[in-house]
Amino acid sequence: MSESIKINVNGNQIESAPNKLLIEACEDSGIHIPRFCWHKRLDPVGMCRMCLVEIETPRGKMLVPSCTTEVTDEMVVDTESEVVKKAQEGVLEFLLINHPLDCPICDKAGECPLQDQTMAYGPGESRFVEEKRHFEKPISISEIILLDRERCILCARCTRFSDEISGDPLIEFIQRGNKTEVNTFPNEPFKSYFSGNTVQICPVGALTSTSYRFKARPWDLKSVRSTCNGCPVGCSTELNSSQNKMLRILGIDNDSVNQGWLCDKGRYNFEYLNSEFRLKTPLKKLDNEFMETSIKEIYTELSDLISDSNTNINFLIGTNSTNEDYVAFNEFAKNFPSTNQTFYLNDDYLYAGFFEKGINRATIDDLNNSEAIVIWSEDLKENLPVLYLRVRQAVKNGAKLIVFGHSNSTLKDIADFYYSDDIVSENFEIIKDISKLKGIKEHVKDKNVTAIIGKSTPYQLDENLDKLVSYLVENSNSKIMNAFSSGNTFGAINNLDNVKNLRDFTKNVSAENTDLLFVVGSDPIGRSVFSNEIHRIIQDIDNVVCLDLFLHETSELGNYIIPTSSTLGEKEGTFTNIEFRTSRIDKLVPSPGQSLSDWEFISGLSNFCNFNNNIDSLDGLNELAYQDFDDQDSPSFKNLDKPSNFDGIINDYQPNISTELNENLTSKYFVGKKLYGDNITIRYSDSISLLGAKQFIEASESTIEKLNLSSGECTLKQNGHNVSANYVVNNKLADGVIFIPQNRRNFNRFDFSETIEISPNQSKEALNVN
Amino acid sequence: MKETLLLTKHMRENPEDSHLIDSYEKNGGYETARKTLINGSPENVLEEIKVSNIRGRGGAGFPTGVKWGFLAENEDRYLVINADESEPGTFKDRILLERDPHQLIEGIIITCFAANIENAFIYIRGEYAKPARRVQDAVDQAYQKGYLGKNIFNSEMNLDLVVHLGAGAYICGEETALLNSLEGRRGEPRLKPPYFPAVKGLYMKPTLVNNVETISSVPWIMENTGKEYNKLGVEGSTGTRIFSLSGHVNNPGNYEIEMGSSFGEFVESLGNGIRNNKKVKAYIPGGASAPWFRGDQLDIKMTIDDVANNNSMLGSGAVVMMDEDTNLVNAAKSIVSFFAHESCGQCTPCREGTTWLEMILDRVASGRGRASDIDLLLDVCDNISPGLSWPPKMTTICPLGPSAVSPITSLMNDFREEVESLIPTKVLL
Amino acid sequence: MSWNDSMIKQAKKIIKMYPQKRSAIGPLLHLAQSKDGYISDDSTAVISELVGITEVQVKSVSTFYSMYKQEPTGKYLLSVCKSISCEINNSKEIIDVVKDFTGLNNNETDENDLFTFEAVECIGACGGAPAMQINYETVEGLSSENTIKLCEWLKKEQPDVIIAEEMQDNFGGTKSFDWAIKDQSGTTGSVPGFQTFNTTKEKK
Ligand SMILES: Cc1cc2nc3c(=O)[nH]c(=O)nc-3n(C[C@H](O)[C@H](O)[C@H](O)COP(=O)(O)O)c2cc1C
Ligand code: SF4
Ligand code: FES
Repeated sequence: MSESIKINVNGNQIESAPNKLLIEACEDSGIHIPRFCWHKRLDPVGMCRMCLVEIETPRGKMLVPSCTTEVTDEMVVDTESEVVKKAQEGVLEFLLINHPLDCPICDKAGECPLQDQTMAYGPGESRFVEEKRHFEKPISISEIILLDRERCILCARCTRFSDEISGDPLIEFIQRGNKTEVNTFPNEPFKSYFSGNTVQICPVGALTSTSYRFKARPWDLKSVRSTCNGCPVGCSTELNSSQNKMLRILGIDNDSVNQGWLCDKGRYNFEYLNSEFRLKTPLKKLDNEFMETSIKEIYTELSDLISDSNTNINFLIGTNSTNEDYVAFNEFAKNFPSTNQTFYLNDDYLYAGFFEKGINRATIDDLNNSEAIVIWSEDLKENLPVLYLRVRQAVKNGAKLIVFGHSNSTLKDIADFYYSDDIVSENFEIIKDISKLKGIKEHVKDKNVTAIIGKSTPYQLDENLDKLVSYLVENSNSKIMNAFSSGNTFGAINNLDNVKNLRDFTKNVSAENTDLLFVVGSDPIGRSVFSNEIHRIIQDIDNVVCLDLFLHETSELGNYIIPTSSTLGEKEGTFTNIEFRTSRIDKLVPSPGQSLSDWEFISGLSNFCNFNNNIDSLDGLNELAYQDFDDQDSPSFKNLDKPSNFDGIINDYQPNISTELNENLTSKYFVGKKLYGDNITIRYSDSISLLGAKQFIEASESTIEKLNLSSGECTLKQNGHNVSANYVVNNKLADGVIFIPQNRRNFNRFDFSETIEISPNQSKEALNVN
Repeated sequence: MKETLLLTKHMRENPEDSHLIDSYEKNGGYETARKTLINGSPENVLEEIKVSNIRGRGGAGFPTGVKWGFLAENEDRYLVINADESEPGTFKDRILLERDPHQLIEGIIITCFAANIENAFIYIRGEYAKPARRVQDAVDQAYQKGYLGKNIFNSEMNLDLVVHLGAGAYICGEETALLNSLEGRRGEPRLKPPYFPAVKGLYMKPTLVNNVETISSVPWIMENTGKEYNKLGVEGSTGTRIFSLSGHVNNPGNYEIEMGSSFGEFVESLGNGIRNNKKVKAYIPGGASAPWFRGDQLDIKMTIDDVANNNSMLGSGAVVMMDEDTNLVNAAKSIVSFFAHESCGQCTPCREGTTWLEMILDRVASGRGRASDIDLLLDVCDNISPGLSWPPKMTTICPLGPSAVSPITSLMNDFREEVESLIPTKVLL
Repeated sequence: MSWNDSMIKQAKKIIKMYPQKRSAIGPLLHLAQSKDGYISDDSTAVISELVGITEVQVKSVSTFYSMYKQEPTGKYLLSVCKSISCEINNSKEIIDVVKDFTGLNNNETDENDLFTFEAVECIGACGGAPAMQINYETVEGLSSENTIKLCEWLKKEQPDVIIAEEMQDNFGGTKSFDWAIKDQSGTTGSVPGFQTFNTTKEKK
C-alpha cells in the first residue's frame, strides 16, 4: 500500500487507503456498519439505507450512506450517534413492515442478515397494522432456483450480480415504488450458469435453491473449507453437511481465484454423493456378471498377476483425483520400467506447446493487470466458468479483449475484436497474417498481454496455436495460461512423470501390449470423441481394474471394480489449479460402504506385492509430492494449513507432457463441451441431471435454414448411429459453423471428421408406426 | 400589481400563431442566436448569464451561470432540457412548450454555443402530447431553416436536437433519474456523488440539465444583457418568473411577474382573490413538495430567500390556494399518495415509508384513526427526514421521499386540531 | 418477430436518433403500444432484440412507467386527475361520474374495449382543475354534467382522432391558460399523439 489517510471514527483514529468506501475502511478496522445492499464484489447502489452514518461537513453533521461515500483525509465519522441509530431502526422497521416473518419455515433462518440485524439494531415490535404486500409464495424461476418475493427486501444484489458479474441479466426489478418486485420474464427463465451465487448473496430467504430447500438448519450444519475439483479453476469452497450428508456448497471469497463466486455445476453437482447407485463393495466379473468380493481377494489375484516387473501395465487416469492419489500411482508405476511410467490422462487432447521454453505462465490475477487479453481456447463460459467471470471483470476494468476461433461466442458481446469467420477457418486454421490484424497491431504488440490458450477441439492442429504463441512471446510482454478443461489436470501433470492423452492411448495401447489396465475415475467411453476405438481396445484387454464411484459405460468393462471415495468431500488431499496454485481438498462426509481413496487402494496393492514404496500414509504422499520444493514455497499440508496460505500456493514446476501431434485430425464440425453434460456425476445429481441430459446442436439462423430444419427437432445420423436432438439458434456462431456438444449422451460416438447427416425429424406419428 | 412580460410577451401579442416559426421570426426571433453565433463568444454568453444572476426554474433554484461553469471538459457533452414538469400545481413549462417552442429552441442554440455542445435533448413528460407535438413541429421547422443541424446560421456550429417523450414518472423530473430514463433505463435517481451530471451525466459524459423556463430566458438575457435582467426582481431572485396559480382562486393561471411582491398581493390582484370571498386556510407556495403556509402568512414575499427563510420553498413556482372549507387531511393525503405513487422504489424509507404514511392518513381521514396515529405519522416522517427540519435532512437518495413529509408536518404544526378532530378516540396521549 | 416491416423500419429510424441504442427503448415502447394498446410480451421480445438487451430488462423498464400499460386498453383512455389542485376542486366527483358512466374501477377496461379508466396524478392542468385527459388530450374545467356529456359523445360518435380543442370547446370550462390557437390535430389510439409514433392525425 503506497499511501494511507487518517479518518476519525467514533472518536478513534483509523487508517485507510484513499478512495476506499467508508463502510470498507471501517470494516477493515473492525468497525461493523450494518448493511443489506452493499456487497464487496458489486458496484454500490446505496439503496437499502441501512448503512447510514453521520459525517461532519462545513454545513454541520450530515447523514450519508457509508457504502457510497469514499473516505477523505481527516474525515470525521460517527457510526453510533442517536441520529444514526434512529435511522437504522427506522430502516429495519420499514423493511419488516412488508416482510412475512416466516422464519420458522425459511431456509435462511439462523444465517439471515435481516434476522440478525433485527436483533441487533431493530425496533422491538411492529407498529404496522395494515395488510402486508402479498405475492404468490415461492415461484420457480429456473430448474434450480426458487423465488419468494414476499421475503425480498429489494437490495438488488441478485440483479446486480447477473448484470455486472455474470453478464446474463435475466432477473430484474419489475414495477416501481412500493410495487417493485424482483422477477424474470415469463418466457425467459433464470437460465444462468451462475444463478446459485444469487442464492448465496441474497441477504434474506427470497432466493433459494431446490437442492437445499427445507434440508437443514444452519445450526445443524458441519462445514469445512475445500477446493472445487469441477474444473481447473479450483474455486475455494465451503462444504456443508448435516447428519453426514453433503447438503450445500458455498463459494469462499478467495481474492485471487473465485472472489466468492462458483458456477452452478460446482455448486450443485454433489447430490450424486448420496446416490443409491454408488458402488459400495468391490466387484469381480465372473461369466460376464459382477459378483461382490472382498478387497483382499482382489489384491491377491492382482498380485498374482503382477508377478514380475515385466508385466505390461497401463494406466488410464482421470482428472478427479487428488495430487496425493497421483503421487501414489506414480510411485507404484516405478516398479514397472517397461511401462515407461506413462499415464494416459482421460482427456482428448493436451496442448504440449505450452510447456516449451520462453513462456511466462499467467496467473488469474494477471488478467487484471494486462492491457490486452487474448483468448484462443475452449469456450471459457462452458469449461472454466469462473475464469470467464474474471475475464469479464478485467474487461470491465479496461483490458482490451481479443478472441480467436469459433468458441467463446458468449464473449463476443464484450470482445473488442472477435476473430472468427474470415480469420480463423472452419478447421481452426489462422488464415491471415496475425501481425496484420488491427486488434493485434494496436493492443498486443509491445503491450502487457495475458493470453488464455488451449485447444477448442482435438481436431485442431497444434501448429496454429504455436503460431499464435510464438507471435505473443516474440512481440509482446505476454503471460500465458493453458486452458485445459477438466478437474485436477494440472495436479496430474505435476505429479505424474509422463503424461499422454487419449489420442495417444488409442495409438499406443492394445491387448497385445497390455496385461493389466488400471482405469482410475475415468469414463472415456462415455465422454471421449475416441470412444469407439477406446471401447474396442479396453474390451480386448484381459485384466481391467476400474476404480470408480459408479458403474458406467467404461467401468462396466472392468474385471475388477473398486468403489472409491469422491474427491468432493470424502477425502483429504491437495488440488492444483490452472495457475499451478495448490490448495487444500478436505473431507466432510464418510464415503459409502468399503470405498477407498485411490491412494489407499494402490498402497494396499503395493503392500500385497511387497513393493518397497513409501506410499502408505497421506502425509507421506504429500511430502513426496513436494519434496523437490523449497520448504517455504512448498504447498505441503504444513504450509497450506497456515491461514495466510488458505488461498493456495503457486509453484513453477515444469511438467512433462509428451503428446504426439494430432496430424491430419480435422473435423467438419465445431465440437466442444457444454458446462452440463451427460457425465456420471451429473446424471446422479437430481437437481441438475436434466440440464445435462438435453441433446441439441447449435447454429446460426441462416445455417439452420440451409439445413432445412424447422420443427425444432432434428436427427443426426452416421453409419447407423442415430441421435435425435433439438437445435438451438445461436447467431453468434459464424455462418456455416455447426456446434455439436461432445458431452451429451452418444454424441461423442460420432466420427466428427466424417459427415454427419442432419435431417429434419420425422413427425411423431411416423415414429410411432415403427 | 402588473405582470412583466419577457418570456410570455410574444405569445401574448401573437395569440394566433406564436408557436410558428414565421411569427417568431417576424418578431425578431432567432436574431439573437444568429448574432451570438456569428459575433459572440462562448465566454461572453457565460458572462452574461452569470451577470443576470438567473437561478434555475426547475425547483432547486441553483444559479445557472455557476452550473454552466461546472461542466467538465470532454469531447462529448450534452444538454438536456427538463420538460418533465409533473410537480402537482405546476403548469408553467406547458405554456412555454405549447405557445412559444421557438423561444426554447433559440435558448438551446445559444446555450449549446456557450457550452460547446452538439447534442441536445428535450425530455417532455409523456402526458404532454400536445406540447410535445408543438415542440417537435418547431424543431422540424428549425431544421428546415438551417437553425439546427450542420453549420447552423452558416456558422461552424453543429447541433442536433431530439424531442424525447417520457412515459409517466414524476421522478424523471429529478435530473439524474431523467438521464437514466433518457438512456432507456428505469427512472431511478443516481447517487450524488459520484454521478453529478456536470461530470458524469448522460452516457457518463458531462451534461447540462436545465429547466424549460431557465433556457427560455436565455434569448432575452442575450438580447437585453444580463445586467438588464439583473435589474428586474430583487437581489437573489432576479428577473421574472412564471407562477402557476391554482386552487380556490377566481382567476387561476400562469402569471409572469418580477419576484418580490407578496403572495397576498399576487392572489388578490392577478388571481382576483379567493372564490366566493372565502378566506385562505392554507396555501402551498412552491409545488406539492413545499411545506404549506397558513392563511395568515400571505404577506410573505415571493422570493426564493424569503420563502426559504420561512421554512418552505418557492420550488417550481406553483402556488395552490386552499380556502377555509378545505379538508386539509384529504389535501395532505392527496399529496402523500402522489409521492407514494411516484417513488421510484430504490430507498427503503421512501418506498415503504410513503406508502405507510398514505395508509395511516387514509385511516385517519376516514375516521378510523387511532390516538397513537399522530405520533406514528410524525415518527415515520422522522425516519424519512430526520429531525423534520427545513431544508430537510434525508435518509434517502433524492428529495422525493422527504417531500412526502412536508404536508404532514405542515398539518401537524399548524392544523393539528383538524387531524385530532377526525380521530374517534378522544383520549389523546 | 411479429412487427411488420414498416414498424421495424420506423423502429430503426428511432434508434438512429440516439447516440446509444438503448435510449430508444422509451419511444419504441410507445410505438409498441400504438400497435396493441399495451406492451405485449411479443413487443417486449422484439424490442429486446432491436436494442440488444434481455426481455426482462425491457420489461423492467416498461413496468417502471405508468403510461406503458401491461394490459390491453380500450379505444379511449380516460385519465382523471386526482392530484392536489384537482382534489380540492372536487375531482372525486368527476372520478365517480366517469366510474358510474363506464362501470369501471381504476385501471379497468370495458368489455367492448371502448373505455379504460384510470385516476391519475397531476397532468399539468391545475389552473383548469378539475381536469382529465382522453388519450392524453387534455380537457379542463370539468363539471359533472359536462363530463357525462363528454363520455356520451365519445361513446356515440367514437371519433378516431381525439382533439383537445374540440373537447374543450364542447365540454370544458376554465382553462389553465389561454390556449389561443385552434388546433385540428390530435391523437389516434390510447397513446400520446406524436409524429414519431404515427399517432397524430389532423381532423379531416
Ligand atoms: C423529485 C424531483 C422532481 C423534479 N422535477 C422537476 C421537473 O419536473 N422539472 C424540472 O425542471 N426540474 C425538476 N426537478 C429539479 C431537477 O432535478 C433539476 O434541478 C432541474 O431540472 C435543473 O434545472 P434548472 O437549474 O434550470 O432549474 C425535480 C427535482 C426533484 C428532486
Ligand atoms: S427518495 Fe424515493 S424517489 Fe428518491 S431515489 Fe429514493 S426511492 Fe427513489
Ligand atoms: S448497504 Fe449502503 S445503502 Fe445498502
